[in-house]
Amino acid sequence: MTNESLENVILELRRGIIVLAVLSQLSQEQYGYSLINSLRESGLEIDQGTLYPLLRRLESQGLLQSSWRIEADRPRRYYVISSEGQTLLPQLKQEWNSIVATMTKMLNKDRREK
Amino acid sequence: MNLIDIYVSEVGRRLPAKTRSDIEAEIHSALEDMLEERSQKAGRPEDDEMIYEILKEYGDPEKVAASYLPERYLIGPSLFPIFLTLVKVILAILAIIALVGLGVNLGQSATNIQSGLQIVGKAFGNLVTSALTSIASVVFILGIIEWTLRASGEHLDVKGLPEKKEWDPHSLNKIAPPNRIKLGDTIAEIVFTFFAIFLFNFYPQVFSLGYSANGSWYIGTGNWTSVPILSEAFFHYVPYLTVVWILTVILDILLLRQGYWNTLTRIYSIVLRVINITIAAAMLAGPSLIALSSNSLPANMISPGTLQLLVNLLTKIYPIGIWLSILGNSVEIIRIFYRMVANKIPAFEVQGKH
Repeated sequence: MTNESLENVILELRRGIIVLAVLSQLSQEQYGYSLINSLRESGLEIDQGTLYPLLRRLESQGLLQSSWRIEADRPRRYYVISSEGQTLLPQLKQEWNSIVATMTKMLNKDRREK
Repeated sequence: MNLIDIYVSEVGRRLPAKTRSDIEAEIHSALEDMLEERSQKAGRPEDDEMIYEILKEYGDPEKVAASYLPERYLIGPSLFPIFLTLVKVILAILAIIALVGLGVNLGQSATNIQSGLQIVGKAFGNLVTSALTSIASVVFILGIIEWTLRASGEHLDVKGLPEKKEWDPHSLNKIAPPNRIKLGDTIAEIVFTFFAIFLFNFYPQVFSLGYSANGSWYIGTGNWTSVPILSEAFFHYVPYLTVVWILTVILDILLLRQGYWNTLTRIYSIVLRVINITIAAAMLAGPSLIALSSNSLPANMISPGTLQLLVNLLTKIYPIGIWLSILGNSVEIIRIFYRMVANKIPAFEVQGKH
């Protein structure tokens, strides 16, 4: 596998978890740049070009709410999880746990067979 | 206007007006946040170098704008197969019409190699022009369909088309051989039907016998005297025939889309054939379809006896043709009806299962 296709696969893998990561971090309202930083601190690098369109999409799907606020003479848009998002989040977490369990089992089995 | 403003407006001008200012404001705010952090980390005030750095990091305005937009198509993946089919069928029809036209023109007007080459060149030019025009029309029509579907759909739904019914593997039985359409036959029927619509409606003069003073014969018209072969009575039927032909092409296109016969298309086909038989019967009962008579050509061109023979032959042959078409249509109706009934019986539906 070339480096490029490896990168593509990794990107695909990450793409799936970003929604869950973002929703999980927005129980307290945050603006975009602070969200990027808090995700980075937790170990998940996500670039702005991915995050902002995603936030808009989640808002238009009703999972997030946003509001503009002026802080230190500068407008910032704050995002927070909506009640709909709050209902969805536990289900997503559960799904994620079962994916992790399945994959761990599968990958460990592979290792034993080798 | 500083660099950040220019960058933001570069992204903005690629976005739809509805969301532009909102997205611009957000990117602006994000860039300011980045810049502030950079400056704090570096321990010096914001400068151009830092701005270049963060803009480079944020990326090409074109890509940034694209990340906010859904994938856009002129003709999307769901309509593309229809587009390809239409283009293939239309190109085949145009090519056949061009070839026949070329043959007729060469036969009539080519006197030497040079004039022959001119005719070939002109025919080729016409073919290219008509091909481009028809493909452009198809793109235009499908583009509008695509746009309408997208506008009516959810803006997040990339597919744009209404949801299909759940797929059932039992439907595969419908595509078994007796129901599967014959691709070649269907396309040929479209081509010839178009050809008939075209000739009878726009070039009825093709069906005439022409002669010039020097004694040479022609089919069609030109700088010579011509006598129609088919009577006015025949041309009264042309509008009805044209409607049937257009309905036939619609049926064929439906069949091409679906790939197999079902009850609805079978009933459609039976109705068309019944109409065909009705028109044929009217033709048999009505006045003669042949306009040529023993005195329609001067005696110095053809002897009255020979002409009489020709007229008799034509007058005798065409009813036989019409009878054959009635017979053919009746046999087809029985066959189609049989298939329709047979499909209702389970034993037929699961043919080849055991």
